[in-house]
Amino acid sequence: MTGWHASDALVTRYANGSLPDPDAWSLEKHLESCGRCAARVSRAVRETPAGVVLAEVRETVLRTSEREAAEGALTARGTRAAPAVRTAGDARASGAHASTSGSASTSAASASASTSTPDHTTAAAPSRPYRRARLRGPRSLTTAPIGSRTARVLWAAGPAVRGAWSAAVLGVALAAVLLARFADFAGARPLLLAVAPAVPVAGVALSYGAHSDPLHEIAAATPSAGLRLVLTRTAAVLAVSLPLLTLAGALLPSSGAPAAATWLLPGLTLTLVSLALAGYVGFRAATAVTGGGWLCAVLGPVLTADGRLTARLAEQVSAYLDGAPAQGGWAAAAVLCAALLAARRPAYDRLDRR
Amino acid sequence: MPTIRVTDLHVRHRKTVALDSLDVDFGPGVHGLLGPNGAGKTSLIRVLATVAEPNSGRVEILGEDTGEHRRRSAVRRRLGYLPQEFGYYPGFTVREFVAYVAWLKDMPAAETPAAVERAVARVGLGDRIDAKVRTLSGGMVRRVGIAQAIVNDPRVLLLDEPTAGLDPEQRVEFRELLRELGASATVIVSTHLVEDVAAACTEVTLIDAGRVAYRGTPESLAALGETAAGVVGDNPIERGYTAALRAHRGPESAAPTAHPLEGAAR
Repeated sequence: MTGWHASDALVTRYANGSLPDPDAWSLEKHLESCGRCAARVSRAVRETPAGVVLAEVRETVLRTSEREAAEGALTARGTRAAPAVRTAGDARASGAHASTSGSASTSAASASASTSTPDHTTAAAPSRPYRRARLRGPRSLTTAPIGSRTARVLWAAGPAVRGAWSAAVLGVALAAVLLARFADFAGARPLLLAVAPAVPVAGVALSYGAHSDPLHEIAAATPSAGLRLVLTRTAAVLAVSLPLLTLAGALLPSSGAPAAATWLLPGLTLTLVSLALAGYVGFRAATAVTGGGWLCAVLGPVLTADGRLTARLAEQVSAYLDGAPAQGGWAAAAVLCAALLAARRPAYDRLDRR
Repeated sequence: MPTIRVTDLHVRHRKTVALDSLDVDFGPGVHGLLGPNGAGKTSLIRVLATVAEPNSGRVEILGEDTGEHRRRSAVRRRLGYLPQEFGYYPGFTVREFVAYVAWLKDMPAAETPAAVERAVARVGLGDRIDAKVRTLSGGMVRRVGIAQAIVNDPRVLLLDEPTAGLDPEQRVEFRELLRELGASATVIVSTHLVEDVAAACTEVTLIDAGRVAYRGTPESLAALGETAAGVVGDNPIERGYTAALRAHRGPESAAPTAHPLEGAAR
């Protein structure tokens, strides 16, 4: 800390706004660390016309916000008691200004500096409340709960979970249960287990990328873009499909197929495989290859072989899903893909080069 | 001190060259980006928005190299981007749409509702904030797009054809908003409408065939139109636009081109 302190002339010129900008900035820098000069400057500022106005504004805002708080306790929010009370949002904003301008002496000085030095950067700020008052419609007083947790979870879910995919998953689960219960369709569980691992992959296909997300171009320029948004939406897809299809499977007769929960790990792995593949070829191709590949691997041998369809299907599904070696293989593949995802994280940022 | 610095930028789309060794920088203020169709305006804006990846070159925004994955999020938090075309989720209201983008931009939950109302009011849609986006006219959807771009009070604002679909009165209001935003932020506006440039921009950058053809102020571009001989155009800026393009293309291409004003007038 140097022994330099602001001269009285400097303080006066700062307070009345006649000090050139560079000098004002260096004084402000000094005020950040010198309480004595800050106190002198804020005293000088309070005596200027701007300081008087500021004090009045502060007084009014504090009084109205107190009154609003008192009234808010009695009546519902949104009573327009005084013209100064605009909306909850406005009152909060101006309340924050009042507290910063009035509390500490240094901030009083800086606040009044911006009111007393009319330059182009501060000129924009005062027009804002004006514009708002002019443009604000009567309906804006009703605040929808956009900050609520439910809304945020729904946002995170992405296009697939909000759109037709969710309905399709519910449809598949219901159809399987109804077929087995009322039409005595014995092959319901093997068929469900054969189709289920491809369902979250389809959800991923509908969740991200220029082809399926109408907001993609906007989202791609935000910090959420890339693997982070991909994983958030994939998690939502899994949160819907895993419990629903497993529950449906558990309600079906076994018909020689493995337990309903055996598809969980393969479903997760195929999802991760498609994500890992997407880093190279994009989401549309990756999900088509993964989902289509799985369906071919399960249904292909069934359709070409002889014998009863249900038994063949159950046998094929068991071969892929049942037993420790099969599940171990799926687990290993899942870990591998997860590692690949983590390593290739930057690749997801700008997937679709035009 | 420029907030955006572009060095030796190359962008190719398959075999066509969109940007060819482009060097340009932008500081705070409103910059008009002019040029014929296919000159590379949208390519440049998409690269600056960190949406498209350049084939080579360096882009520095707010002191951060956007080529580095780790630094990109910091830039994106202070970025606003209105694409030339964008979609929306059919069920969303204006408020939900803008709030969703605020969420994508990592804005604190406590500040979001007030920021959303402010952004929507600034584009003049305060009375339609709870209307479904799909019930709005094309011009209104465009304004919703502008609202989502400015919801985080961006330091760098990139607007690709923001005035397309706005009626004359809305354009006048929008230019006022542009001047207001340009007081503190770096605003880059790609446009076909020279009136927008004349009225709202502090600087003009003319791009042709992936290179900078002209840089200056709207006044200097208009002055160029006054002095150049034999150029067509209905007003000084249009004439300046034609003259600058002709000067850039050089004597061999100075022969009358098919559509010299293709980008200047609709």
